Amino acid sequence: MAQDLLQQKKVTSVTLVRDCFSQISKHNARLNAFIKVQNENVALEKAREADERVNKGVIKGALDGIPITYKDNFCTKELSTTCDFMSPFNATVVDLLQDAGAIMIGKTNMDEFGMGSANMYSAFGPAYNPHTIISDQKEPIDQEPRVAGGSSGGSAASVASGMCFASLGSDTGGSVRLPASYCGVIGFKPSYGQCSRWGLTAYASSLDTVGIITRNVLDAQLIYDIISKYDEKDSSSLSPKLRSINASLASFDKTNTNVTDLSKLRVGIPQEYYVFELSDPIKNLWKRGISLLRSYGATIVSVSCPSTRYALPAYYILAPAEASSNLARYDGVRYGHRSDMDSNQEEELLYVHTRSEGFGEEVKRRILLGTYTLTAGSYNDYFIYAQRIRKMVQSDFDSVFRRPNPLHLVKDETSPFYNRNNDEIFEISNQLRKENNGVDVIMTPVAISTSPKAKDSLSSSFLSNSSSCFSTDNTSIDDNRFVNAYVNDVFTIPANLAGIPAISVPFGISPIDGFPIGLQLMTQYGDEHTLFYISKVLENNFFKQ
Amino acid sequence: MVIKPFVTTYLKKTCNERFILQIKRYVTSHQYSTQIRSERSILYKPNKWEAIIGLEVHAQLNSKTKLFSSSSTSFNEPVNTNVSVIDASFPGTLPQLNAKCIELAVAASLALSGNVQLISSFDRKQYFYPDLPAGYQITQHYAPISLGGKVFLNYLDGLEYETMVRIKQIQLEQDTGKSIHDIVPGMTLIDLNRAGIGLIEIVTEPDMRTPKEAGLTVKKLQSILRAIGSSDGNMEEGSLRCDVNVSVHEHGTPYGTRCEIKNLNSIKFLMAAIDVEIERQINELENGNKIVQETRGFDVKKNKTYRLRTKETATDYRYMPEPDLPPLILNKDYITRISDNLPELPDDLKTRIMKKYGIPLHDVIVLMNETGGIKYFEEAVKNRNPQHVSNWITHELFGRLHARNIKFSQNPVSALQLGSVIDCVDNGDITGKVGKKILEKIISGDSRLASTIIQEEGLRQLNDINELEVICQEVILQNPEQLKSLREGKQTVFAWFVGQVMNKTKGQANPKLVNEILRKLL
Repeated sequence: MAQDLLQQKKVTSVTLVRDCFSQISKHNARLNAFIKVQNENVALEKAREADERVNKGVIKGALDGIPITYKDNFCTKELSTTCDFMSPFNATVVDLLQDAGAIMIGKTNMDEFGMGSANMYSAFGPAYNPHTIISDQKEPIDQEPRVAGGSSGGSAASVASGMCFASLGSDTGGSVRLPASYCGVIGFKPSYGQCSRWGLTAYASSLDTVGIITRNVLDAQLIYDIISKYDEKDSSSLSPKLRSINASLASFDKTNTNVTDLSKLRVGIPQEYYVFELSDPIKNLWKRGISLLRSYGATIVSVSCPSTRYALPAYYILAPAEASSNLARYDGVRYGHRSDMDSNQEEELLYVHTRSEGFGEEVKRRILLGTYTLTAGSYNDYFIYAQRIRKMVQSDFDSVFRRPNPLHLVKDETSPFYNRNNDEIFEISNQLRKENNGVDVIMTPVAISTSPKAKDSLSSSFLSNSSSCFSTDNTSIDDNRFVNAYVNDVFTIPANLAGIPAISVPFGISPIDGFPIGLQLMTQYGDEHTLFYISKVLENNFFKQ
Repeated sequence: MVIKPFVTTYLKKTCNERFILQIKRYVTSHQYSTQIRSERSILYKPNKWEAIIGLEVHAQLNSKTKLFSSSSTSFNEPVNTNVSVIDASFPGTLPQLNAKCIELAVAASLALSGNVQLISSFDRKQYFYPDLPAGYQITQHYAPISLGGKVFLNYLDGLEYETMVRIKQIQLEQDTGKSIHDIVPGMTLIDLNRAGIGLIEIVTEPDMRTPKEAGLTVKKLQSILRAIGSSDGNMEEGSLRCDVNVSVHEHGTPYGTRCEIKNLNSIKFLMAAIDVEIERQINELENGNKIVQETRGFDVKKNKTYRLRTKETATDYRYMPEPDLPPLILNKDYITRISDNLPELPDDLKTRIMKKYGIPLHDVIVLMNETGGIKYFEEAVKNRNPQHVSNWITHELFGRLHARNIKFSQNPVSALQLGSVIDCVDNGDITGKVGKKILEKIISGDSRLASTIIQEEGLRQLNDINELEVICQEVILQNPEQLKSLREGKQTVFAWFVGQVMNKTKGQANPKLVNEILRKLL
C-alpha cells in the first residue's frame, strides 16, 4: 500500500505526485479522465509538506501525501465544480480526506449529473477505458476505443491508469461499480447514510451514495473508514446511535477467525440475476467465483429476490422524478449558465432558454420523464407504484440475509433493541439471525458484458427500451444495442433501491476481448466489513487464464 | 359541541327524502357542512344567500434562525445578507431541520387544541419562480405536523354571539424570497433574506360565515400565536399573511364553488375583500352566471377582487416526498414538556386580568395587542391603581412609542420607571403634564427613575401656598390690561391667568392651588 511505503520512507509523496502527473500528461489526452487537473506545482508543494511531516513523524492522517481525485460532482473550494462554478465550500467527504492528508490531483470526468452508464453523456466528451494502455497482457487486445463506464468513468479511468491512488465517485444506480468493472478496479458503494452527501451535487437524493474507487480492497476500506462519519449537515446521515447499534450487531467477519476457512459462510446466488442478456465470459467467471468460495468451504445457496425484475423500471421512475426536482435550482438566476434570450421574456417562459441550452440531451430526457411521473395525473400510477416496488426490493434482501437490518430494528419502543447496551444488542441480534436459511453475502455479476465499444454505446434512447430489458423477443441487433445500455444497470440498481453496501471486485479477464470483468458482492445494510472480508478473498484469487 | 344530530335535523326540516340522501353523501364525502348554525343564520340580500369562508394563515415562526439553515431571520436587514448556501440552493447543499421551529409549531398546535402528530413528514411543492431558489418549497403536504384543532370566538373577541372555527391542519413550511419589481424598471430584483424562514400554515375548515368572523378569527390566531411566542403575527411586516376561500350558496343547498383570494396583508383588507367577493358572487349567481373556481387578488384602491388565474391555468405543484429529510418523529414526553410550559392563553388571560384588576375589556385587548404588554402591565401595576397604570400604558406610553416608530419590544421605559412616574403624579409630587414630560425624557434614553429626575432637576410640584400667592400677585400686577378685561366680565381671561402662572413655574405649580389662589385674588 502506498501509504505504508510513504510512512516507511521507501517512497516520497513528491515522487507519487510526480508519477501521477506524468501519467496524466502521457495518457489523459486519450482517456479524457479529467474535467479539471490541479496545478502541478500546487500539488507538489502539498506533497513536500507531507514529506516533511512524514520525516518529522507528525503525519496529518492515514492518507498524508496520497494523491486522490474527485468526481466532478463533489464540491471543492480549490477547483471549480463543472465549468466555472466555484463552490464556496468543500463536500464533507472532501474535507475528511483532506484532513487525513490526501492531495487533490483533479476533478474527474462523468456523465452530466451522474446520468448515464457509459460516461458518453459528458459535456466534456467521453472518458475512455484505459485498459489498452495499462494492460500487461502479452496477447494483443482489441485497440478500438472502449467506454470507461458511467457515470464515474473519469474516476475509474484515473485510478486504473495510475493518475491517482484513489478516487471518490458517486453511485446512484451503479455509477462506481459499473466503471470499476469495466476498468478493472475496485468500485465500492457503502450503505446509504454511511457517508455524508453534503457537497455532493444531487441527482436522485434517496439513491445517491458516495462511492470509492481504488486499486485494492484494503485501500477502499481505509478510505471508507475515514469518510464514514456522521454529519449533521446531512439529515439522511446515519445517526451516531444507529452507528453504535450497527457496530454491535453480529456479523460474519466478527465470528470468522481463519481467512482460509469459510465453512461458516453462506453465499447467496440470486436466480433472478441469471438474465438472458448475460454474456458467456461473465457467466463463466460468475461460476468460477462460486466454485472458489465453495472450495474455501462456503455454503452456496440459491436465493430468490423476486422483485428484482421490477427494480430497473422502478429506478427509472424514481431517479428521474427526484432529478427533475433536484435540478430545478439550475435556473440561471443565482449561478451557472444564463441564456441571453431569457431577459424580456414572459414570466412563464423565463427559464426556457437557460435550461434548454444548459442541460445535455440525456439530462433533459430524464427531467421530462421525472416531471411527467410527478404530475397529479400520473403520480399514483407511477411514482407510488415505484415506491412500492422499492419497498419490495428492500424486503427481498431482508428476507435473504442472515443479519437483521439495523434500520428496521430500532424504529420505536417496541423494538427488541430499544434501550439496550451493546452486549445485549449483540446477544439479541445473534438470536434474530436466520442461522439456517439466511446468507451473509450475495454474489452476482456487475455488468452483462465487458466494456462496450464507444461507438456502440452512443444510445440516445433509453425511454423506448428501458421497459423491455427482460424481453426475450427476437429484437433486432440494433435494438439490442440500446437495450444493453440500460440492462447494464440491472445488477447494480437493486443495491441502491435497498440502500445496502455493494462492491465490484475485478475477478478476471474476458478471453474474448481481453477486458476486465468484476464480480459484485452485496451484504446486509451496515455490514460493510463482511463485504470487505469476502472481497479480499476474491481479490486474492484473481482468475488468470 | 355536538355536530352530527344537528345536521340531520337541519336536513329533515328543509329537504325531501331524495335530496337528503344526496346531501348526506355530500356531507360525509367533503366533511363540509358539519356546522350549520341557524341560531346565527347570517344571510345576505334577498335574505337567502349564505357565505362560506375558510382561511389559510401563514405565520412566520419566531425563531432566530431559518427553518433549514442557520441564517438569521432578523427583519429589515440589507438585502441578501441573511443568506447561506442552503437558502440560495447551491449545488450540494442539504436542509437541516431547526429544532426551535418544531417546538414553536408544536406549541401552536397545542394552543389551538390540535392533535400533534408523532410522525410527520416533509414534501416538495414544485414551481418555478425567481424568489424560490430551489424550484420547490419544502412543506408538509401528505403528513402535516398537526391535524384538527379549533378556535372559539365570543364577546371577549368582540363578537355578539359564540361560535367555533375548526382547524383542519397545521403544517411546517419554508418562506420564499422577495421579488422586487419596481426599483429598476424592466427588471425584477431578488432578495433572499426571507427565503427559508420557517412558517406554519394554519388551514381552517370553512366554518366562518361573515367577514367579521373571518377578521376576528385571524385576530384570535394572531393573539394566540403571540401569547405562546410562536410568531410575532405582524401583518404589516408580513410575519402573518392570509389567503381566504369564499363561496356563497342559497341557504339549504350544497355549498357553492369557492374562489381563493390571495395575499391579504391586513385584517381590514381581508374583511373588505371578503365583503366585495361575497357581493360579486351573489351578483353573478343572481344574473344566472356560474362561479368558476379560481384564484383572485384584491385591489385595495378599487375595492374589488380580480382574477389572477383559473383552475385550468393553475400550477400542478408535483408534490413529492422530500428525500433529503427523514420523517419527523416526536415522542410523547417532548410534547408533554411543551404542553406543560405553555403560557396562559388569551381567553384565560383576558378573564383573569379583568377580574383581578378590574380594568375594562378594551384596555386588556389594547395591552394584549403588544407582545409582552400584559406582562409589562402586571409588573407596573404592583401596589398601584390598575386603571391609572392601564391609562398610562395604553394612552401615554403606547401613543408616544407609536409616534416615534418604536416597537414595544424595543420599549426603553422599564416597568420600574413607568411606575415611578405614576407614583409621583398620584402622590402629587408632579402634575400629570410634568409626568408626561418625564416620560418623554425616559423614552429619549434617560435611564433614571422619575423620582430621581424630579429631585435632580427640581421639577417637584409647587404646593407651597405662600410661594404660589407671591407668583400669582406678580402675574396680576404685571398684566393690568387683562385684569381690566376680567373685571369687565370677560371670564375667559381667568384661564389665561392660570396659564401665565403655570408658565412662570414651568408647569410645576399645583394647578388646583393656582386656581384657588387666583379666584381669591381676582
